[in-house]
Amino acid sequence: MDETTLQVYSVLFVLATAVLVYTARFLQARRARRSRRAQRQIAGIDLIPGWAGQAIESGRPLHLAFGSAGVGEDNTAVALAGAEFFHHLIQRVGDGDVSPIMSTSAAATVPLAQDTLRRGWSRCGALTRAQWLPQGKRSIGYAAAVSCLIESERPSAHIFAGSFGPELALMIDSADRRGQGSLAVSDQLQGQAVAYAMADEALIGEELFAAAAYVAEAGEAPADAIVMDVWRALLIMGMSIVLLLEVARQLPWLSWQAVAVGSLLLLGLGLLVNRRR
Amino acid sequence: MGRGQRFGAFLSALVAFAVGVTVMLSLLLGDNPALFGNQPGSDELARRLALPADALLRLVAIFLALSIVIGIANLLFVHVSRLKSGKFYSAVLLASFGFTVFWYVTRQGDTSLLEAVQLPIESALAALLFVSLVHGGSRVMSKRGDLWGLLFVAVVVLVLLGSLPLAELAPLQAWSDWLMRIPVSAGARAMLLGIALGIVTAGLRALLGQDRSYRG
Repeated sequence: MDETTLQVYSVLFVLATAVLVYTARFLQARRARRSRRAQRQIAGIDLIPGWAGQAIESGRPLHLAFGSAGVGEDNTAVALAGAEFFHHLIQRVGDGDVSPIMSTSAAATVPLAQDTLRRGWSRCGALTRAQWLPQGKRSIGYAAAVSCLIESERPSAHIFAGSFGPELALMIDSADRRGQGSLAVSDQLQGQAVAYAMADEALIGEELFAAAAYVAEAGEAPADAIVMDVWRALLIMGMSIVLLLEVARQLPWLSWQAVAVGSLLLLGLGLLVNRRR
Repeated sequence: MGRGQRFGAFLSALVAFAVGVTVMLSLLLGDNPALFGNQPGSDELARRLALPADALLRLVAIFLALSIVIGIANLLFVHVSRLKSGKFYSAVLLASFGFTVFWYVTRQGDTSLLEAVQLPIESALAALLFVSLVHGGSRVMSKRGDLWGLLFVAVVVLVLLGSLPLAELAPLQAWSDWLMRIPVSAGARAMLLGIALGIVTAGLRALLGQDRSYRG
């Protein structure tokens, strides 16, 4: 594919996403009540109300970590999605006496974290509760600092939503040994594997970007989550069709009708799995 | 939200939208004369279209360099406030910070202190990370006692055994290679595709000024 075609496709993709987002919002606004049945279930999100209640009752903070997700870097969108998710979480513990703690190893994310905390937590303390923990030459420095924070602040639970590598294991292990719950998701594959294996619950891949829609009391965020699901379904369908067509070239008896039926079956199976989650 | 705050939020959303659209269009349309049919002057047009993105991205690089000052200020502010409540580690951190700055200035940029202290400590922690990973892996089945947990453990064990340089385990090596080449690679790509979709949606929210950080 030459560069010009790629550029045109990129513009079309962005425009199509914008159209889909606004269509989803329009359809949602037409409904008398904002039904969440359209969204698939994410197991990790179910733990959050319990943790929020526990944080309020025990007077211990929630720890919300961005990791190395930094504004102005490759993972800016991850930092923004994390901030949106954390904003709704902070509102959930807004009745408590202790403000959540936010940590990041990217200096440029500090103002974002402070702003998120300030908007969700109206009382004072936002400046010192959003902390920059330098990661050093490797991310191990950040993990060590978070382990220290786990000991000194005794958070009730940890939500790691951002960019983490294998060093996530040290943090989750520290939290686990003190009986503190953890929910983790990372845009790095190594961090994601550690999150799946060690955290109490893990969000996977793009669930980080949809998470805000699940914890929001109200707003437009659910439309974004639905659009991501639509894109994903289309992507799966497209890839399945290409795969079947590729196979069809090698199997002369496989007709386009069979490809269509196969695609529909795969789509149905995908929808079924989606609904059951 | 007061009128002033609403106006501020509107203004920041407007700036975000203008900058976002400018950079996106500049990146998509700039530096590709073929997009304008290779007419005379299309080279110059493509170069000019690429300029705004170039300038704004350079500005971002400057801001990123400055953000380290914000980080250091935050670090000092947090630990000075913790010092008031008698936190010993904060005193150690502040003393180390002051001493390292003094060392760096008086020894004209000598980083041997960093290499002699921080790197060995980080290496030790990296070794500890291995223990944490093994410990965490051993508890997978207690946390996820389902089919997927079992599959996770089975794959880890298979890949670990397959990586051993023993002739008796050669068949496992082939399985391990296949696992890494096909299912693991496919899963990783699927995950990255999902993240890419999420990034497009999150980016679009920021671009349209819908992100909460602009709405105040």
